This record gives sequence, structure tokens and C-alpha cells, in this order.
Amino acid sequence: MNDPYQILGITESASDEEVKKAYRDLARKYHPDNYHDNPLADLAQEKMKDINAAYEQITKMRSGGRATGGTGPAHSGAYGGYYGGYSASGSSVLQQVRIAIQSGNISRAEALLANYSDHNAEWNFLRGAVCYRRGWMDEAKRYYQTACQMEPGNPEYRQALEFMEQGTQSAYRPSGGIFGTEQCAPSPCLPLCCAAYLLSGGGWIFCC
Amino acid sequence: MLAEEDAARFRSMYCGLCHTLGNRYGAAARMILNYDFTYLAILLSEGREEADRHRRCIVHPVHPRPYIPANDALALAADESVILTYWQLRDGVADHDWFHGLKYRSLSAVLEPAYRKAAALRPAFDRVVRQQLESLSRLEAQRCASIDEAADAFAKLLEYAADEITAPVRRRVLRQMLYHLGRWIYLVDAADDLKEDAASGNYNPVLLRFELPDGVWTSEARREFAATLDHSIHMLTTAFELWDFGAWTPLLSSTLYTGLFQVGKSVLDGTFQKSAVRKRSKEPS
Repeated sequence: MNDPYQILGITESASDEEVKKAYRDLARKYHPDNYHDNPLADLAQEKMKDINAAYEQITKMRSGGRATGGTGPAHSGAYGGYYGGYSASGSSVLQQVRIAIQSGNISRAEALLANYSDHNAEWNFLRGAVCYRRGWMDEAKRYYQTACQMEPGNPEYRQALEFMEQGTQSAYRPSGGIFGTEQCAPSPCLPLCCAAYLLSGGGWIFCC
Repeated sequence: MLAEEDAARFRSMYCGLCHTLGNRYGAAARMILNYDFTYLAILLSEGREEADRHRRCIVHPVHPRPYIPANDALALAADESVILTYWQLRDGVADHDWFHGLKYRSLSAVLEPAYRKAAALRPAFDRVVRQQLESLSRLEAQRCASIDEAADAFAKLLEYAADEITAPVRRRVLRQMLYHLGRWIYLVDAADDLKEDAASGNYNPVLLRFELPDGVWTSEARREFAATLDHSIHMLTTAFELWDFGAWTPLLSSTLYTGLFQVGKSVLDGTFQKSAVRKRSKEPS
């Protein structure tokens, strides 16, 4: 799988413009912003590395092997969380919680938080981050809310809350268009629908 | 909108799962077939399957239909479908008095032999389904007002459907997808029952969480609820992009990036026709 064209999903006959377009679309898809705090962020990061390397290789080959300073990919944001280091913790325990979350050890972060009695703004913020990693999106938002209420001026907490409230609207979508239930175009008929009976007689559906 | 080619591919998996159920568990087990289980089979499959066989059946007695022949993924999806359906029926028995439980009791009795065989083949999955549905009943009894906690019980159960996958990346991707698919299904189902449950007093975590006594959305609550659904769909799509689903990619992409939003929206608008879909779901035209 080392063919750079294959990695970008194009053929060797693609024009320079097409190469650029393919690269841009993939870079948008696997961009750190789209995998912020995501438990699978490490896999997205790997993808991004491959895509960047493939793009660089193609531009290099096309410019006759010369170094192409400046045209290289510029996407190198952080895949980590909001708690990514730029904010020092007020306590060593909460610092350990941040490290545990960053390394993906959510159970340890949870245990540390459970034994920490001072439920201050940072505690609530970190509790929210743990909930988010577990997929408990509603609780995550409520903890971030509490953190913001306790410390309204903190940009780290505010950013996290904003993401919970409308962050998915800018999420990647292949056709472009806004990502979101309330943003979707009404569909007069739902073709090929699928019902499930997984829950107490309720039917669940995926429409395509 | 789904391309005809992808719709045909979906139907061939639907027929493939039906035949797998019939071959493994007998004709009666075919009755549990639905579109969600078909999606489960698609997620568990390798992406290179070809519908290279044709067969007539009761639903299509004249023209033989193409279907995907049995493979490991179909076998796993069939076994898990039997286990899931059986425990849901048993849940229905427990939730109703003797008379109203009749339907559930008789259906689960019909499925009993199939269930025994499936549970023997997949004992770990059987155990998890039972445990998670027990947690769900407990939360219902406590009238738990956390939508995350209630949805988690169901989401974990679906997440476990990928437990037999051993390739590490694929396993992580599928677990995240199934967890959030489960969470989304649970929440959308609860949202669809808002008014009914408000009138009957039945447990509904969405009703309790947003304090909607008559089951009517306030614009604030609706916005918050849609945002939480969108976060699950985001977790689903970001996981989906990290694995190659082969020939199933266009179908899944359209379902995840468009279909889920449409269904969620129509449920929130109250325009979702569950009964119409239910009728249609017996037969994917």
C-alpha cells in the first residue's frame, strides 16, 4: 500500500488540480479538528501521516525530483484534547488525570476523579472530558457547563462547552453541507427504510 | 439518495441473512429478519462479498433473487440476531401481565430451540445481552433520568456484537460504531415515544431528562437533544472513515451522513411513520 496515488484514491493520470483536490478532501476528513478528543484519534493521525507523505511524494515526483519547499502539507494540528498541556492544573492529582486522559487510560482518570473531594471548576471540566471519551455526550456537556459557570473566564472550559453545543456542525461530510439532524433537508419520502425491533416493540430505522 | 446498485446490494445481503437464518435455525427463525440485523451483517462482513447465487423463496416464488451465500459474518450476524430477538421477547414477557404477555410468550417459545443453539455457539454474547437488558430493567425501575446512562446499557450490548473480531484496528472501529449506533437507536426510539409515554406514565429517560411533562418538545430541549444525537453520529462517521468497508462503503456512507439525520429530524418533527415503515420493512421491495 505504498503507492501514493492509491493512498489519495486517484490514478497516475490525475491532473495536478485533481491531486490537490483529492489531498484537500482527505486532509479535511482526517484533520485533527474532526478527531478532537476522539478515542480513535491515533488512527486518524496515522492516516494523516500517510496522506501527507503521499502528497509530498507526488508533488516531488511531478516537479522532477526537486525539493518543493513550501508546497508541503500544512496540517499538523494536535489530535489531543482541550486539556492538551497549555493549561496547568491547580493540583497534582488533576494533572495526573489530564495525563491519564491523554494516554487513553479513562478508567484511571475516572478513579482519580472519584477520590478527589474538591469538585471545583477543573474537576468538573475533567469529569466532562472523561464522559465525552466514554460516549456520554449529554453528561459531558453538563459537566462542561458547570465548569463554565464556576469559572466563566476560562477559555479552555468555554471552548469545550461550545464544541458540545455546536461543534459537530463543522464536522466533515463528504458531500459538503452542514452536519446535523436539525440542518438536514426534509425528505418527503424515506426510501428503503429499515426497521428494527430491538427495543420493546419500537422500530428503528436507517434511511439511505 | 441511494443508488440502485447499492439498494440491490443491500437486498442481496438481506436475502443472504434470511437464507442463513433459515439454514441454521429452520424456517421459523426467518421471521426475526429485519433491516437492522442486515446492517449488522454488513458491518461485520469483509466488503468483498458477491451475490453470485440466486434462489426462490416464499416471498419471491417466481423470480429467483440474488443473495450473498453464507459466510462467517452472516453466521455471526444470524446467531446474534437470534439471541437479541429472544431476550427482547423474554423482556416483553416480564414487562406484561399474563394476558398481554401471551404474544411474547408464544413467540419466544417458537424461537426457544433456535435460541438454545445460538446461545451454545455464542455464550459470551448471550451473557452480555442478558446482563445489559437486566441493567436496562433496573434503570427503568429506578426511573433513571440520565439519558446517557440508560442509552449506555443498550449501546454496550450492540458494541459487544463485534467482540469476536480480532483484528485490532477493525475491532476498535466497529466497537465505536456499534456503541454509538446503539446509543442513537435507543435515544431516537425514546424520542419517538415521548407523547405516548407522557400519557401512559411509562418510563422514558428523554421525558425525565428534559422535564417535558406532556411530551412536547421545547425549542431549547429539542436543540440540546439534537446536539447529543449529532455527537453520536459524529463518533459513528469518524470511526467509519478509519476502516475500509469495501463494496459497502457508498451504502454506509449515505446511511451515516444522510439517512440518520433524516430519520432523527422526522422523529423530532413528529412526522415519522413508524407503522408504515414497519409494514414495508417486511419486504424491501
